[in-house]
Amino acid sequence: MTARFASLKARRALTLYGLLLTPTVFLAFFFLGPLSIMMVYTFLTPGLYGGVEWVFSHLNYGRILGWADTRYDQFDPVYISIFLRSVRLAATTVLTCLVICYPFAFWVARQPERWKNFFIFLITLPFFISLIVRLFAWVLILRPTGFLNQALLGMGVVAQPLDIIFTDMAVVIGMTYVFIPFMFLPLYSSIEKLDGSLIEASQDLGASPLQTFLRVVLPMTLPGIVGGSIIVFIPSLGNFIVPSLLGGARVVMIGNLIEQQFLSARNWPFGAALGMMVMAAVLLLLMIYVRILSREDKQAETQQPKEEETR
Amino acid sequence: MKTRFRPGSFFLSAYGWLFLTFIYVPILLIVVFSFNANPVNMMIWDGFTLDWYRTIFGFPTTLNEQTLYVESTAQLYSAVLNSLTVAFLTTLVSTIFGTAVALAVARFRFRLKSFYRALMFMPMIMPDIILGIALLIFFVSFGFSLGLQTIVIGHTTFLCSYVFVVVSARLADMDESLEEASADLGADGWTTFRRVTLPMIAPGVIGGAMLAFIISMDDLVITYFISGVDSTTLPVHIYGMLRRGIKPEINAIATIMLLSSFVIASIGLYLRARKK
Repeated sequence: MTARFASLKARRALTLYGLLLTPTVFLAFFFLGPLSIMMVYTFLTPGLYGGVEWVFSHLNYGRILGWADTRYDQFDPVYISIFLRSVRLAATTVLTCLVICYPFAFWVARQPERWKNFFIFLITLPFFISLIVRLFAWVLILRPTGFLNQALLGMGVVAQPLDIIFTDMAVVIGMTYVFIPFMFLPLYSSIEKLDGSLIEASQDLGASPLQTFLRVVLPMTLPGIVGGSIIVFIPSLGNFIVPSLLGGARVVMIGNLIEQQFLSARNWPFGAALGMMVMAAVLLLLMIYVRILSREDKQAETQQPKEEETR
Repeated sequence: MKTRFRPGSFFLSAYGWLFLTFIYVPILLIVVFSFNANPVNMMIWDGFTLDWYRTIFGFPTTLNEQTLYVESTAQLYSAVLNSLTVAFLTTLVSTIFGTAVALAVARFRFRLKSFYRALMFMPMIMPDIILGIALLIFFVSFGFSLGLQTIVIGHTTFLCSYVFVVVSARLADMDESLEEASADLGADGWTTFRRVTLPMIAPGVIGGAMLAFIISMDDLVITYFISGVDSTTLPVHIYGMLRRGIKPEINAIATIMLLSSFVIASIGLYLRARKK
């Protein structure tokens, strides 16, 4: 009996290894490997004609953060300012998505069941549509000879074509349009769970609609807001497709800078160091998110017994 | 949800429809103007034509040579073929990997479980440009020649996470006692897997595979970095076209892509509806 049990246990262990072996090797080699090499690259010296020399250098980070190789150039704060602009544009995108989606999610949550599913379908459908096609639509709309300008000129609203494409606004519009489903879904799932009786209670106790919103609705939908904001912020920050199509040469984001370093300037160590800036920002954000989550869990734990007592 | 919290039901409804207009008008514009005969300004209607569609399929058109733009139909076709090849291979490999890890994490007890959860979570939160440059550095320093094989490897690294998440969700909903019953009745591990587990997680596996296929077909950023000169995929090809200049042919290509996206999306939703 024990022998049979032991062999069963061994077979189970064997199955487990069988399941995990190939994926583990693959991911160790092609996912963790590349990330580690990239980190090593940020400390190497760029070769004269592209490529790298295996000599330690801290100047890749220095060029971004404040110390430069004084033999060749002065420190230029341009990289920090492009990084900060990217953060600003990504944050603006998050805010725009949030403001646009919040009332819509509320509206959908109040529809009858069948319509609800239909609207959710309508919002997720663009996810199936190629990103490049969706961006192309906005190039057509925002160009000087584009749809918007033709319409405005035709109606006599403006006398001269508006200069919208190749501005910060065009980039924010493009990113907002592309990332709306990412914001809507988490927002919707927390708004749908909202307990109507709490809102009623708040109003019965004499709170104004604004107070009800700020003190009851907003805190209860906070998980959706924070979750949606993070998954919109991450792809916005390092984006280079949207700024290159809708921002042109005038709106350069950190993603464009990285792309240039890899594909035209061929300074890979510096490009990798710029990439680490994006990575650091994302990690920082996730750490804050985890902190908020764990604090809310604690609050929920401490509040539960109190509620019991007051009942 | 019937509550008294209604800051103007009418305005909210109006806003809802406005929102949907904002989502769908840009897409409709592409479709409508892909039939526009005006070769100079794409946004001024000048009669109906199918010329742009004829151009991309290589049929003779009424347009003169100067207004024609499509670089080479052969290039476009090879991009489509590359995209499909990559998407099929990637879907196959990442579905197997993702399902295997999901099964291991859900059904076995082992020490590194939380490590595997984190490992499968990481590619999903990684900005794609980071993964793109990391893979490029890796492939070049280890002497891989860039081409379809590197694209398949690159896509698989992050798509097995998506399959993992979808299959894990399915496994979590599943009743484990059925597998135990099967084992108690004397079925060996493989039979239990084939006759009980697999049929039950099949919808999750298929859903994960479809998601992987769609994302692989659409991926631009990672492919952009790790595709070789002769192995561009459709999104990379179109991105290149857009950067060289906006011409009406792109409308027609985009419309065809839209149509195929809708077909794929409807198949997916049909399958999901049938499952219920």
